Amino acid sequence: MPKSDLAEETKNDVEQAGPVDLLIGIAGAVNKDEMQQYLQNMNADLSATAQSSHVVVAYPGSSELESGEAERFAGAAGVNAPRFLQYSLPAGDPAVLPWTIASAAQKAICSLAVELDAKVCVLLHSDLAMLTPEKLRLFTSPVLEKACDLVVPVYPSRKFEGLLNHSILAPIARALYGQRVRYPLAQDLSCSARMCGKLSETDNTRERSESSLLWPTTQAALNSFQVCQVNVDVQHATQTEGLDLSTVLSSLVGSAYIEMETYAPFWQRVRGSHPPAVSGNAAQQINDGEPVDAKPLIDSFLLGSHNLQEVWGLVLPPVTLLELKKLARSSPEAFRMPDDLWVRIVYDFALAHRLRTMNRGHLMGALTPLYLGWVASYAQEVAGLSPFAAEQRFEQLARSYEEGKPYLVSRWRWPDRFNP
Amino acid sequence: MWQQIEESLRDSMGRVFTKIATLLPGILAFVLVLLIFLIIAWLIAMLVRSVLRAVKFDERTSSTSTLSEWAPRQTPTILVTRVVFWSFVIIGVLVGVSAFEAASAESGISAYVFAYVPRVIGAAVLLFFGTIIGRFLSRSVLITAVNLNLHYARLLATGVRWLVFVLTAAMVLDHLAIGGDIVDLAFGILFGGIVLALALAVGLGSRDLVSRSLERETNRPVEVPVEEKLHHF
Repeated sequence: MPKSDLAEETKNDVEQAGPVDLLIGIAGAVNKDEMQQYLQNMNADLSATAQSSHVVVAYPGSSELESGEAERFAGAAGVNAPRFLQYSLPAGDPAVLPWTIASAAQKAICSLAVELDAKVCVLLHSDLAMLTPEKLRLFTSPVLEKACDLVVPVYPSRKFEGLLNHSILAPIARALYGQRVRYPLAQDLSCSARMCGKLSETDNTRERSESSLLWPTTQAALNSFQVCQVNVDVQHATQTEGLDLSTVLSSLVGSAYIEMETYAPFWQRVRGSHPPAVSGNAAQQINDGEPVDAKPLIDSFLLGSHNLQEVWGLVLPPVTLLELKKLARSSPEAFRMPDDLWVRIVYDFALAHRLRTMNRGHLMGALTPLYLGWVASYAQEVAGLSPFAAEQRFEQLARSYEEGKPYLVSRWRWPDRFNP
Repeated sequence: MWQQIEESLRDSMGRVFTKIATLLPGILAFVLVLLIFLIIAWLIAMLVRSVLRAVKFDERTSSTSTLSEWAPRQTPTILVTRVVFWSFVIIGVLVGVSAFEAASAESGISAYVFAYVPRVIGAAVLLFFGTIIGRFLSRSVLITAVNLNLHYARLLATGVRWLVFVLTAAMVLDHLAIGGDIVDLAFGILFGGIVLALALAVGLGSRDLVSRSLERETNRPVEVPVEEKLHHF
């Protein structure tokens, strides 16, 4: 990233910062008091985390913590205390989704890491739950000791959380790019210097819209970088209140589809997948308690099935439509969407997204009832199972994505070929 | 007597054949010009398409153009090529009309046609955009309504589509000056009738329903928000 992309004030700070071993970037607006508390708690151990004393904490300029105050924290903490840098986030548009803001912040922090020539860069969620010396060590040690280029977390699993991630995003990352990471859009991660360089380049090398997301695992796969996972016992709450599901799908799955389109020559050559090295103690599995009522979800699917046949017909082949009709006729208790059917739906929608068969907003809207159908099927299937068994279920689904990849490759290459 | 009738008919037939004979060069000129322009249009369209493909026009415009959002099945290259082709065809028709007038004894035809051409072009543009907007809005309404769990989603979408189509048809006819005041009047009556019907349906038919709903809202106890068990992201 050219220096001119950074704010003038930040550039001056970068020049004064000197050599940096560890850059900790907070990917989002932080609360002043919380930040103060965390910094006081961690100062003693921070230098040990980075195996050196040159630590810089970067936070967004729109933060409540002004630069003067940040310097005051540093001064109070002592000589080895971290230094602080502000980076600027794009102007806050209320319509921008939380993960879009986080991605923009991650890109900005990576650019800062390149400017600072930081050895390790840790990007953290703005709730600061990961800002403890132990957790930072978990993220930095694979980079420093195991030569990992990207370290992504494995959050504690719950049966009914992160369903979009488990049903579409993670299996796509696995099947297409060969990366068996649990959370390809992680909100905390750490990167080596060369990985930061690649992540900061993504904006300049490709024309992308402002709402595009940063997919670190895809970049790691493209550059054959080593990816590691760490088990963490932290869960972040993402503000999705007031957002409708089709908007969320449009943003997340739409972005994954754009990545597919951009890197099609690469993923068509990838065969199989490999599990990354995992460190840290496996997080405790949380039981979700009462099973979810699948009836409203099935009703949403049925409503879509009755009204959107014409739209689905533009995207899905006749055999898939037939299977969906059969599914719509099944009783609520027997409502199960087979994995291969769901996988073909996701792949066919990816193709329609690429071919612009219809407006992309409409396309993601038409996918929503199908996704709710999958959620209903999954909720009924794992109702009586343990979180571990539910994880196994996700593993099975991910394998189906891998098995269905030849179908995607074939349709991607020859979209006009007869497909009954 | 019979001879006079026969002569009269022969004269009439002669005049008809003369008229046709005088029109024939004009028609031939028109067809010839149109054919030439069709060939030119086809060649230029091919040339434009080759040039646009060579400069990767689709890839350059796909990230920024909103065109694909409205007409997603047409690539920008195809759209530009078609516009070029039909522009030449229209020019060919106009030149053909001039050639027809020059080659035949008829006068004033081209002046009449040329005066009407802008109206036809305007009407065609209106029809094109009206159809696209109607379909787009209909699909938007259908998908949004389904995702809002509205059971009358299809009805709503069909209503929106026909509303836009009827509005477009009225505008097109008005633009072509066909039907005169009848179109305006019919359109006003139709739209006014629909609005009045809806007002009556809500005002009279659903009066009890609205009052019951309001009562229920007033007497409803404050609900404690239930924690959502499903989290998609």
